[in-house]
Amino acid sequence: MTDSSEGTGPDPARLYLPRRKVAFAGRRGTAVSAVSSVAVIALLVSVFFWAPGGANVRATFFSFHDMWVAFRGDPSKGLLSVGSGLITNIWMFLLSEVLVLAIGLLIAVARVSRSPVLAPFRVLATLYTDVFRGIPILLVVYIIGFGLPALSLGAISSQSPAVYGVTALTISYSAYVAEVYRAGINSVPHGQILAARSLGLTYAATMRRVVLPQAVRTVIPPLLNDFISMQKDTALVSTLGAIEATRAAQIYSSTVFNFSSYVVAALLFLVLTVPLTRYTDHLIARDRSRRLAGAS
Amino acid sequence: MRLTRLTLSAALVGAALTGVVAAAPSGAASTPSLASCKTSIKSQEHQKGYLTVATDSPAYTPWFVNNKPSNGKGYESAVAYAIAGALGISKSHVKWVVEPFDASYAPGPKPFDFDINEISYTADRAKAVSFSTSYYDVQQSIVAMKGTKIVKAHSPAQLRTYQYGDQIGTTGLAFINSYIKPTKPARVYNTLDEAVAALQEHLIDALVIDTPTGQYMASAQIVDKKNKPLAVQVGQFPSVGEHYGLLFQKGSPMVGCVDAAIAQLRHNGTLAQLTKKWLGIYTSVPLIKP
Repeated sequence: MTDSSEGTGPDPARLYLPRRKVAFAGRRGTAVSAVSSVAVIALLVSVFFWAPGGANVRATFFSFHDMWVAFRGDPSKGLLSVGSGLITNIWMFLLSEVLVLAIGLLIAVARVSRSPVLAPFRVLATLYTDVFRGIPILLVVYIIGFGLPALSLGAISSQSPAVYGVTALTISYSAYVAEVYRAGINSVPHGQILAARSLGLTYAATMRRVVLPQAVRTVIPPLLNDFISMQKDTALVSTLGAIEATRAAQIYSSTVFNFSSYVVAALLFLVLTVPLTRYTDHLIARDRSRRLAGAS
Repeated sequence: MRLTRLTLSAALVGAALTGVVAAAPSGAASTPSLASCKTSIKSQEHQKGYLTVATDSPAYTPWFVNNKPSNGKGYESAVAYAIAGALGISKSHVKWVVEPFDASYAPGPKPFDFDINEISYTADRAKAVSFSTSYYDVQQSIVAMKGTKIVKAHSPAQLRTYQYGDQIGTTGLAFINSYIKPTKPARVYNTLDEAVAALQEHLIDALVIDTPTGQYMASAQIVDKKNKPLAVQVGQFPSVGEHYGLLFQKGSPMVGCVDAAIAQLRHNGTLAQLTKKWLGIYTSVPLIKP
């Protein structure tokens, strides 16, 4: 008797169980979800078989031969490897993530500062987040990637497209991440700041030892969310001429007139983002269970 | 009655356009005769009553002029109208639509009869779409900024050392990767204009492009405020058998008739005449080896 239909409504205690435990309760539940999952997937896949253009789509999007050649590349035909293109994506987002974490934090701290001396920085930080959250990232990529070289300023103007890409991503995402940090900082109760200051801590020490540690922990899931988004946006750097996974796939597609290379690139991006997505979910679940435990 | 008259006048205009009055011999034995095509083509049109021709936007000079395919100027625009003429379709019954290159080879029904967009024939591509026979035989050339190293130093070994760039999907790019084989991977841009911008900003040393487009670039596109050319066409590579073909929906019934029209235009000298008129004479471009 796992059903709670005998009462007037659902058992209140059941509502607090994590959803996974409810869905998989008992062997019958497992069997039902397995059958239903297989049925839904089979239905979705069957579209590729009964649709009039199904065979065409299978040949142009899911040809294993093309996927394999696109993944490996074929220098004799001028085809670049989608697999090694992904390495460019990986180092671009790793580098941008580190920079974004640092710069975003600086901007957030500047925005929440109260000292009159820091007023210009407050204004600048506000302006920065407004401007760069409002401009499409693709445009920032173009402006940096074609604008800086046009300046003819020695080293600044002679970097590789990937470096300009990292710069553009850092500029854009720092604005988003600064706002995430700021939300975290504002979520720390004001009383804690008052308490810390009354204990004799300076403003800087209060920030560093009391506010930020709590704020950062709160915002880790939304931060990771932004990072997943950034991993995908490394593909925009292809517009500057950098050969990353998307661009290698595009070259394959336009040379051979087959789209399977895009599917390979999509799968590779999934391999990158899914672990981070799962980890974010895990953190959110852990955080939630902690809070529920605290509440009871 | 009305239909007959229309067809007849269309045929007359077509004949006048191409300067051919009576039965010209058709090319290959397998292609249908042009005379029968003039009736059969009507039932094969994507939009009845019109020959729908596609190209990308911006459409580049000297293939088109002023990004306006319907003005009949530029080699590809002129060829499209000449083909229509050979098939008995009047100028006013040719309709132009914009088809981005990337979309032109996507599966599914195509919103045009054929696409004329400097698309090179390859066997791999012919698996996804149908091509007409060649309407232009292509050679690739190198364009660089004046005074840069590559202008003087371009032996096969030296050519490998430069930073190249090109538009995505071009055979120029394929040529770089499969014949020049540079030590640094070529940079790949979405449009030719971006590749040109990169060349002007010295982000790339050179770009590889078909000779007519390259000549236009070096003589009229990359110029200073007084229209003095800033770039130079370093040289052209020997032919590797590349040619441009019109792109059709895979298995389009129209290919045979269009091939017959192209064969006639080749035979009666129209193609050569249009090449001379719009693409200039390239005897001045030196030959270099990849």
